[in-house]
Amino acid sequence: MDVKILMSGDQAVSVQMGDEISLEVNRKVLMLHEELKKKPVEGIREMVPTYASLMIHYRPEVIGLDQLMDEIYQRVDSMQGIAESKKIIREVPIFYGGETGPDLELCAQLENTTVEEIIRKHSSHDYYVYMLGFAPGHPYSARFEEPFSFKRRDTARVKIPAGSVVVQLNLSDLIPFEQPCGWNIIGSTPLTICDYKKEDPFLVHAGEWIRYIPVSKKEYDQIKRADEAGTYKVKVREE
Amino acid sequence: MGILVKDSGPLTTIQDEGRFGYQQYGVTPSGPMDARAFHIANILVGNPQGEGAMELTFKGPELEFDQDNVIAITGADMQPSVNGTKIPMYTAVAVHAGDILRFGFAAAGGCRGYIAFAGGLDIPMVMGSKSTLASKKLGGYEGRALQKGDKIGFSSPKSMLDKMEKRKVPAPVYPTKEVTLRVVLGPQEDAFSEEEQRKFFWYSSTVTSEFDRQGCRLQREVPVKHLKDGNIISDGIAFGSIQVPTTGQPFIMMADRQTVGGYTKIGTVITVDLPKIAQAKPGTKIRFVQVSMELAHLLYSRELEELKQLDEALNH
Repeated sequence: MDVKILMSGDQAVSVQMGDEISLEVNRKVLMLHEELKKKPVEGIREMVPTYASLMIHYRPEVIGLDQLMDEIYQRVDSMQGIAESKKIIREVPIFYGGETGPDLELCAQLENTTVEEIIRKHSSHDYYVYMLGFAPGHPYSARFEEPFSFKRRDTARVKIPAGSVVVQLNLSDLIPFEQPCGWNIIGSTPLTICDYKKEDPFLVHAGEWIRYIPVSKKEYDQIKRADEAGTYKVKVREE
Repeated sequence: MGILVKDSGPLTTIQDEGRFGYQQYGVTPSGPMDARAFHIANILVGNPQGEGAMELTFKGPELEFDQDNVIAITGADMQPSVNGTKIPMYTAVAVHAGDILRFGFAAAGGCRGYIAFAGGLDIPMVMGSKSTLASKKLGGYEGRALQKGDKIGFSSPKSMLDKMEKRKVPAPVYPTKEVTLRVVLGPQEDAFSEEEQRKFFWYSSTVTSEFDRQGCRLQREVPVKHLKDGNIISDGIAFGSIQVPTTGQPFIMMADRQTVGGYTKIGTVITVDLPKIAQAKPGTKIRFVQVSMELAHLLYSRELEELKQLDEALNH
């Protein structure tokens, strides 16, 4: 495995497991993360899996750089042949269009198709979560079938609301907090994507999959109330 | 109780050492911008170095105490006074119930200050930290900067500490014209030719007003040129990472930085020099100097040792 360790200042290294955005490379990143979690190395402060690299923040006063790099290379070697893990799919309800999905019709125009067809394409495939970043609980996710052809909007919106589901090409992100955004908003989820009060505050995690489940406005409102009351349970499937 | 906030100042937040372990979920660590000033403030009042303290920006707050305690103020000099009498910086000072602490502006060098309170502040831990990430309504005092009328309790206030007369250290001088930042190359130095790397260190940059807890935008007369462009597959970001997007104008990532980003990073400011950029005001010239990783680590271990010695001399 051709692994490269890049220097990110005097307290972090970025371990590059490949140079492309792919399921294969991202799995290697998550495997190395798992390996280092299972048998922790003293002096590693925290790790951040990204598309193609694992960022390792370390304490130079506890572990020397040479020793850390040695450990990393050893772990990479011992990773060979680790079995593929289960596919965990989280079902995320989404209400398409309406006030909270203002670009749905535009998306249909851009694809030269119907709104129904946009919804079908968006909701009939699983999305792989490559990583969380940008904001707490914000997934970077993609499907591998039937990509859209449109990219970003010409001008970004200064603010879009939390809960927005945004799309471009084969990508679809959940927006946990109000933020600026240049992607088209196709719909909204009634679920809280990041809730600090929960023991696990994050709706989805890196390496998992998302399946969008279309719901009506009425169901959206019901789920929102249940989620806020803490009685809604997100459906999780394993394959 | 402890403190009533009578005036918040432009941006006063609670920060402790930082929130670690959650960057994998997109949660930035936060923590102090100037870790050195923050650590010294805590040591001076006998706290663990990473205890939650107040971080002040440009101008401090007005605070009324309703309980005795010992405080220390470090960082930029914002002319602190108690009941109208000036009090020294970098010195442990006993305050009493009814006292009012006021500040002016950071007139000389530096722009961020710290107030540490003996025994710490009664602020809830969220994900293991008291640090405030105001942009994401996380941690600190109700997930936001302090406001007029806020009441913050002391955890275990001390009316006096041992060796009070020894609890002072010389205040640093923060330069106002030009700051030299030492940098280790990487992670994406390969995105620039050797000639461009040389120019990066030769030409100076200027701190712009686009400077907050997230990061510091620099302006260069001669933008940095990439071999291709400024985009990469998004990867992790460290405190001090110098991002260079396609515009060629660098951006230094600070305490509230995003956890991942898609721009090339030519180098990273070494840890011991982060306070220098944290304290720089808009208009200050920045010069980057390349150093080895060995030197960066040596300087960092020296800094830790120095703080440890101060802590042992005062608190053990």
